[in-house]
Amino acid sequence: MRVSYNWLKHYIDLPDSLTPEEVAHKLTMSTVEVENVEKQGQNLEKIVVGKVNSVQKHPNADKLNICTVEFGEKFPVQIVCGGSNVKEGMLVALAGLGAKVRWHGEGELVELQKVKIRDVESYGMICASTEIGLGQMFPLKDEKEILDLTNLKLKVGQPLAQALKLTDAVFDIDNKSMTNRPDLWGHYGLAREVAALYNKKLKIYKTKKTVASNKAKINLEVKVEDSKLCPRYMAVAIEGVKIEPSPQWLQSLLLAVGLRPINNIVDITNFILYDLGQPMHAFDKTNLAGNKIIVRRALKDEKFVTLDEKEHQLSEADIVIADSEKVVALGGIMGGLNSQIKNDTTTVVFESANFEAVTVRKTSLRLGLRTDSSARFEKSLDPNNVELAINRAVELTLEMCPKAKIVSKIVDKANFHLNQGPIELPLDFLRMKIGMDIDKKQIIKILGSLGFVVKEKKESLAVVVPTWRATKDISIKEDLVEEIARIYGYNNFVTTLPLFSIIPPERNELRLLERQIKNILSLECGFTEVYNYSFVSPDTIKKMGFSADKHIELSNPIAKDKPYLRVSLLPNLLENVEKNLHVADDLKLFEVGKVFDISKPGQRVENNSDELLPRQNTMLGLVYSAKGEEQPFYTVAAVVVELMKKFGVEYLLEPAVEIEHKFIHPGRQALIKVGEDVFGIITELHPQVQVSFGIEQRVGLLELNLDRFLEYSSNKSKYQKIPLYPAVVRDLAFVVDKSIVHNKIVNALSKIDPLIINVELFDVYDPSANAQGKGKNLGENKKSLAYHLTYQSAERTLTAEEVDKIQERVIKIIAKDFKGEVRK
Amino acid sequence: MQEQLQKIKQEFLKGLVEIKDTLQLEKLENEFFSRKSGKINDVMQILKDLSVEAKKEFGVLVNEFKKDLEEKLAEKKAELANEKLGNLIETESIDVTQPKLPKVEPGHLHPMTIVHNELEDVFTSMGFMVLDGPELESDYYNFQALNIPVTSPARDTQDTFFIKDHANWVMRTQTSPVQVRAMQKYGAPLRAVVPGRCFRNEATDGSHEHTFYQLEGIVIDKEISIANLIGVMKELLQGVLKREVEVRLRPGHFDFVEPGFELDMKCLICGGSGCGACKHSGWVETLPCGLVHPEVIKAGGLDPKEWTGFAFGLGSMRLCMQKFGIEDIRHLHAGNINFLKQF
Repeated sequence: MRVSYNWLKHYIDLPDSLTPEEVAHKLTMSTVEVENVEKQGQNLEKIVVGKVNSVQKHPNADKLNICTVEFGEKFPVQIVCGGSNVKEGMLVALAGLGAKVRWHGEGELVELQKVKIRDVESYGMICASTEIGLGQMFPLKDEKEILDLTNLKLKVGQPLAQALKLTDAVFDIDNKSMTNRPDLWGHYGLAREVAALYNKKLKIYKTKKTVASNKAKINLEVKVEDSKLCPRYMAVAIEGVKIEPSPQWLQSLLLAVGLRPINNIVDITNFILYDLGQPMHAFDKTNLAGNKIIVRRALKDEKFVTLDEKEHQLSEADIVIADSEKVVALGGIMGGLNSQIKNDTTTVVFESANFEAVTVRKTSLRLGLRTDSSARFEKSLDPNNVELAINRAVELTLEMCPKAKIVSKIVDKANFHLNQGPIELPLDFLRMKIGMDIDKKQIIKILGSLGFVVKEKKESLAVVVPTWRATKDISIKEDLVEEIARIYGYNNFVTTLPLFSIIPPERNELRLLERQIKNILSLECGFTEVYNYSFVSPDTIKKMGFSADKHIELSNPIAKDKPYLRVSLLPNLLENVEKNLHVADDLKLFEVGKVFDISKPGQRVENNSDELLPRQNTMLGLVYSAKGEEQPFYTVAAVVVELMKKFGVEYLLEPAVEIEHKFIHPGRQALIKVGEDVFGIITELHPQVQVSFGIEQRVGLLELNLDRFLEYSSNKSKYQKIPLYPAVVRDLAFVVDKSIVHNKIVNALSKIDPLIINVELFDVYDPSANAQGKGKNLGENKKSLAYHLTYQSAERTLTAEEVDKIQERVIKIIAKDFKGEVRK
Repeated sequence: MQEQLQKIKQEFLKGLVEIKDTLQLEKLENEFFSRKSGKINDVMQILKDLSVEAKKEFGVLVNEFKKDLEEKLAEKKAELANEKLGNLIETESIDVTQPKLPKVEPGHLHPMTIVHNELEDVFTSMGFMVLDGPELESDYYNFQALNIPVTSPARDTQDTFFIKDHANWVMRTQTSPVQVRAMQKYGAPLRAVVPGRCFRNEATDGSHEHTFYQLEGIVIDKEISIANLIGVMKELLQGVLKREVEVRLRPGHFDFVEPGFELDMKCLICGGSGCGACKHSGWVETLPCGLVHPEVIKAGGLDPKEWTGFAFGLGSMRLCMQKFGIEDIRHLHAGNINFLKQF
């Protein structure tokens, strides 16, 4: 909201030594955030009132003129001007060299230099209103028009800011910082704050007692159907009104706060809007059918055209103002086109009312119609202002239109109650909350300056809340603490540190696990962490072979193409792969994040509710793809081995019998299990799905449920004593059927003798996996495996003979159980 | 005997002078030192036949003699080795500026992870728990429990993602719901921070994201005051930024605190004299905070007459951007390897 410093000064006497900037700072520190202070006329330096002495056609340009302009000095200046309306004798805004203007009212301010325009020198510029920031004050009628000041009869040579009395300072207040303060949406309320901050007296908001005519010509009636929606409605009719521009003082104030003056009646309602923060409306009486105003809910699908000429379809949730035939205003939001003030209006009906905050807010949200009026009503306004406002409106109307007369009763339908307390404020409580002592007298003074009525008790204060703060803003003693503390000044606080216990905080094991895993993956395994959105597209879901029904859907997604909540980290990681393979040949990426599983129960919706949120497990997703890497599975599996070892998880890798999703490569996949519990999967991306993602090389994938991983991890490195006696390593290579898996061989060989302490695969030769070497020497469907077998005893040095004996048994078992043939 | 030794020595030294390479040296070594046929061994053989005393006398002599020659041999060996090494600069020079091939690309943590790790370390060192909560939250925890009823205009300012077919579920718009969950779970006293992902339904551009990160903090204890809040926030910021800071409070309105504040920090770049970074005000808006509203404490299952506290919300994503000088917020979720590998 824009706030005029001059306007504030109507209500408080501030010393001239005080600058608007100082006041703005104080407001920021204690009340609301003033984002900017704009001094009117601060950009009008070196711009003066000039008088055009002569106008001649520019010899080299059709649309330009060469003017000589007088500006109070001995010699006039020569200016090249393109204004369509320039003529001799005209008073203009003359910007001299060094003045700052905005070309054609757009872009940054530019400092004027002496220039040659088509060979003719120009020593400044004759300005359009928009070029010097006066567009609102003097709206352009024609694009090429310069500002014509002739009618204002200004003194030639006078600085323009001075001539136009542009001496105000305008505060730009962040509306978000006063959503809780309905009383601050008008100058009077802000003046109250400034008065409290500077310990000044706030002038009483005086209006002349409005006297209604005895013989009411118009029998104005108001019917409020539901006083909950409209706690107060006042109306009055005035005839003999003459619509014309409002006086200069009013126009200046409106312009200062950024409103365009329209006519006297509309300007009066706008003035009160910014003065008291009370929205008003004026109807043309001739357009109202009958004398009865009805405040009711809109009918279902009722249509209404607002002042801005837009048609709206209303619903029963909306408040409307109607006459006996039609809707004439949308309560608290905007008036109707059908009854607006026109140039020939002579009888007006003023409305000053209070509407219920939530209803106004909902309607204005639904219709996309946010107005100055709705913005105020949705903050919960004080119904007492309704009366002040209408009185002021009548007073101003009678002042501006000498022939105007009140021709109705002043109707007042009121049914409201405000909870003004008193609130009990124990002084102990105040001291504890503030953390220091403030003198009781000062407390009472602060509260008093804000309009609170305080009654002293022994150990506490009984505080009556003023009506303008009692609608919602202040209801508990904590609210009073804030009032006292902020006016006292937070900068005057002596800070202290509380005493805390030294018991170390409980560890968040999952978070620590996440961190350790991230460190291992990035620092040891060379993987790079990504953060992806939690949302996925239906298209991706389909590609993966997931079902859309198992996804939670946003009802208002930002990206229409990504409405679903992810159930897996892999789809977005695969999109990362596709994008990055254009810039890198090899990719190792991972993400740790939450996924959303509607089929499983999560945390409670409320503490005592049985309804549960969907399960939101923390997952690890990982992808690996490298140019020329035909079996990325093994690299991913190696990461799993590393993680399981580091965290001491006793796990199993087991290919799934039934493939759950399309993206899984049926021949290159394994579930990660502890017992029967599956908590992860390693797979390669199915070649067909790979194509659908637009990826040209094989991709290895891992997904692991970290909540479960945490349960299984023991996080203990097992230490074994360094053996005293040397180990013997024997190598063994043999040919077996392709279907024999490594795991089974390791298990079988490890069990043969306790002296075999390690069985390690070191070479695989599988001719079928190698395009060139079809079946070289091995026979159909055979592969060759080579192992290091490590023999060791904790008690003695082994002899070659005993190792040989065991090795023979190994060979026998390979032949018997695996039909393997040892290669010599 | 001595003569004999002298003779052998001269022979050896003569041979040594003529030696050009290791092969010749080995031959010479063999000629003199070989256990079977070396010349020194021959002399040793003679010792066997001597009397005990003579043995003693000559033994010492022969040993010294042997040691002497061994040293000379070792010297020669070293000399030859050195000669050979002297050529390394020609034979084994490498281009030390060349990188290792094939290139091994190290992994990288995401910059948000780096920032959150640092923050969590500071806060745990100060006795705070690190907590998390659901990202898909109930309307109750995200709003109502935080003193934001269904009718509150405050809801408008938090553009919320809603869930289809579940009117009372939302994507959390803030980490604050964990304040209430934490009180319910851990009771009081309580000190916790909540780093986490939040969502707002707003169009994304260079400085706005629909997915962002916050670090919520909450302290519940007895008799927590505004003066405490200022003091603790100052200490915390000093811990996070690892330098002395000056803070100030301004009023700020948030439904779940009363009173509520905007905390500004004296600009670290200009020291308060005013610069572009602080919009020439000398102060930088740093975080919203306040004393926990009694309704929120009640929602947490605690008695607001007994327990009080303060809460704050740190925009960790902005902090991350400032720390690394990231100019466009969209980089953080773009998954672009050229961005990620810089951290």
